[in-house]
Amino acid sequence: MNKDILIIGGGIAGMQASLDLGDMGLQVHLIEKETCIGGKMAQLDKTFPTNDCAI
Amino acid sequence: MRKKARYVNEDLCTGCGACAEKCPTTVANEYELGLGKRKAIYKFYAQGIPSVFCIDPNSCRTFQGKKCGVCEKVCQAKAIDYKQEDKILELNVGAIILSTGYDLFDATRIPEYGYGKLPNVVNAMEFERLLSASGPTEGHVERLSDIRDHHLINTTEKKLKKSTKSLENYEKKHKMSSDDFYKQFTAGNISDGDEFPKWAKQYENVQEGTKKLEELKAKAEKFDIATRLAFIQCVGSRDFRFNKYCSSYCCMHSLKEAMMAKDHDARTEAYIFNMDLRTVGKGFEEYKVRGAEQIGLHYIRGRVAEITQDENENPIVWYEETTSQTTKHMTVDLAILAVACEAPKGIEKMAEMLGADLDENRFFKTDPLNPLDTTVPGIYVCGCAQRPMDIPESVAQASSAACRAAEVVAGG
Repeated sequence: MNKDILIIGGGIAGMQASLDLGDMGLQVHLIEKETCIGGKMAQLDKTFPTNDCAI
Repeated sequence: MRKKARYVNEDLCTGCGACAEKCPTTVANEYELGLGKRKAIYKFYAQGIPSVFCIDPNSCRTFQGKKCGVCEKVCQAKAIDYKQEDKILELNVGAIILSTGYDLFDATRIPEYGYGKLPNVVNAMEFERLLSASGPTEGHVERLSDIRDHHLINTTEKKLKKSTKSLENYEKKHKMSSDDFYKQFTAGNISDGDEFPKWAKQYENVQEGTKKLEELKAKAEKFDIATRLAFIQCVGSRDFRFNKYCSSYCCMHSLKEAMMAKDHDARTEAYIFNMDLRTVGKGFEEYKVRGAEQIGLHYIRGRVAEITQDENENPIVWYEETTSQTTKHMTVDLAILAVACEAPKGIEKMAEMLGADLDENRFFKTDPLNPLDTTVPGIYVCGCAQRPMDIPESVAQASSAACRAAEVVAGG
């Protein structure tokens, strides 16, 4: 079986899953409809509950 | 899979931004939810990865058949490629993870809240951009009507400058001041020449423009940061007309936005209109308590019925305060709608393509005991594609989904 993994959506969840799988040494294909990854989280100013910067 | 053309060579683009600086076309910026502007050649946001620019063929002059090609000329890396085409790629994979996220509820579907009609009613994501130091207002929470008026002043000034210049040209040519000319023209003393009606029209434009500009500037002098803020919870969620479910993260983001606004300007008074503040999560309850006790946020229990506006375009929030069982109203500078998290547009098509089922709320269907497994073996789901959830939960699910997918390809 092919060992590649396809991830659809490059928001925070897609990015985290890609990084984890990449760390395991697997080939990941990450698809994102926008021109950059980041998704909704990249639009946020700060995140709760620590009020840390989102980007 | 279709790989869309960027019209910019990814291997050559250095992300320097010279192209966007010189690009003559400006359109509304989707990243700023239309509050800011971007060029036809753009990057979704400044820190975006991959750091490669992209041409939007729907607004680019070259793609509209007009003469341009500015970006091609200024690009030192020679990365611009107008002839690039979409590519169809075939991927053979062992497992799929769906992290397709969500869409914001369209608040125009609740007409009584006036979103889209009243300028100073915004949704939470727009407010997030207003708060952001890299946003359209550089972190100053301004009323949208003030932003609109500032913009109007700029465009009126530009127009006025142009009209004044053409008046000067007429004056030079005919050796007569525009005031004198207009008096004589309206008195019917001079009517010869094709130019005269145009001159008169231009003169009227300048008079009108000057008056309008003065009025706007006088109004703009009174503009201030929006300090009275009303946060309206459960807009489109926990509402049987739209979505029955709770979007789960909105209570927390409204608390956060209110805290940040207070942090930006200590005069801020923030009122959070809620049915109940659902702060379920590690450290979340403490966050809510801190908001009330140390930061001084006001939590009002009651659902907002309607939002209207006064003569200064300040929103008036009409609500029932359930603790005192009275109906009240409050005038604020900005009303912020905590809009629901909805399954994204196009999720049905994706589900059909993959053969996966959706639940009654259009999110991917999962089993309570296997919350990451879709109805198709080998296809996993995480984040808001599964149900509304906040960032820490999305990240935790993503790591779990990664492990589930790895199990499959490792032969487990």
